[in-house]
Amino acid sequence: MKNKIATLEYEGLEDLLGQMARELVETIDKGNLSHAMELINDLQQARHQVFYNEVGHLTRGLHEAIKAFSSDLDEKILSDNGSSLTAMTDASERLGYVIELTEKTSHETMDRVDRSLTLVDRLDGQSERFKDLLLLVGQLEGEFKALDGVYDRTCAVKNESEKTIEELRSTLTDILVSQSVQDITGQLIRRVITLMTQVESQLVKLMDMAAKVERLTGIEMGEQSSESTEKDAIRAQGPQLKKKEAGAVSDQDDVDELLSSLGF
Amino acid sequence: MKKDIRILVVDDFSTMRRIIKNLLRDLGFTNVEEADDGKTALPILKQGRIDFLITDWNMPGMTGIDLLKTVRADPELSHIPVLMVTAEAKREQIIAAAQAGVNGYVIKPFTAVVLKEKIEKIFERIT
Repeated sequence: MKNKIATLEYEGLEDLLGQMARELVETIDKGNLSHAMELINDLQQARHQVFYNEVGHLTRGLHEAIKAFSSDLDEKILSDNGSSLTAMTDASERLGYVIELTEKTSHETMDRVDRSLTLVDRLDGQSERFKDLLLLVGQLEGEFKALDGVYDRTCAVKNESEKTIEELRSTLTDILVSQSVQDITGQLIRRVITLMTQVESQLVKLMDMAAKVERLTGIEMGEQSSESTEKDAIRAQGPQLKKKEAGAVSDQDDVDELLSSLGF
Repeated sequence: MKKDIRILVVDDFSTMRRIIKNLLRDLGFTNVEEADDGKTALPILKQGRIDFLITDWNMPGMTGIDLLKTVRADPELSHIPVLMVTAEAKREQIIAAAQAGVNGYVIKPFTAVVLKEKIEKIFERIT
């Protein structure tokens, strides 16, 4: 019986309890009280043992999953990006790298937007010079019959092109503003990094605990993780995902409404 | 609205600082300084040359709400208008910012039009 209890799992618990309960009733019927007490002790131990065994399994499973996730990611990143990432064995570091990478590309995009805006300014300048030339055409129009109507038609083209330039400028500004997604995603990733660091340190504690009851469970634990470094937690809440549910406002209009209700 | 006022933009993401800076430039404000959190912002503010403060909330070191409270508690700085530009969107947070004396609140992601509107509104109220 003792042997059975040491390796007991949740699936076998009901059967064992039933078996022990019947034995207990029989023993009491026979009047063997001291054996009955022993059986009650065993029953209690069985309950604890199932708990410990399950925790042991869970912990080992979690540990294996994290190890597998790490090596899986390593392979993928390595094949994409050469060997420069071999040092990035830590998932939090990888996420930090995502923030770094998106920041870099955002700035590159904004560099191009800036360059494009300079070109738009140049177009604007050319449009001014064109206006001067156009005035000249206007003056000549009276002298040359063949030029009749050319001034008006050219003016229309110029106005159209000015509108296009304006549209181009506002589209470029939109591209610029849309880079703010890097900030939003970066904040969310930082939250995940914080969570992962916490989970990792809790996991290490759990494994320590499981190792302490190893003697009782007889479960072989994997090698313990040494990465228990706690990084500084990042405070504040970060971007909202489930806005309405979390008591958050959903857009700028809601913010304005709330502020005006406060006398703003 | 005077275009030569000095504006301090505080955000830990350089992307966001650059976006705000560019939008301000479009609005004609070219006198813009930057800081990446409340701690680095304070010495710049204390030099006494900043007329307008735009700050994020969620930053390591010193958060935007703490910066706002510090600014409001300092007699030398308390007059500076503060616009919060942040992804923090909980009602309690907006109320807390209002109670701490914020002049405007813009949630990320925002559009150029919204940022412009809020900045202009703040200046209207001040002048």
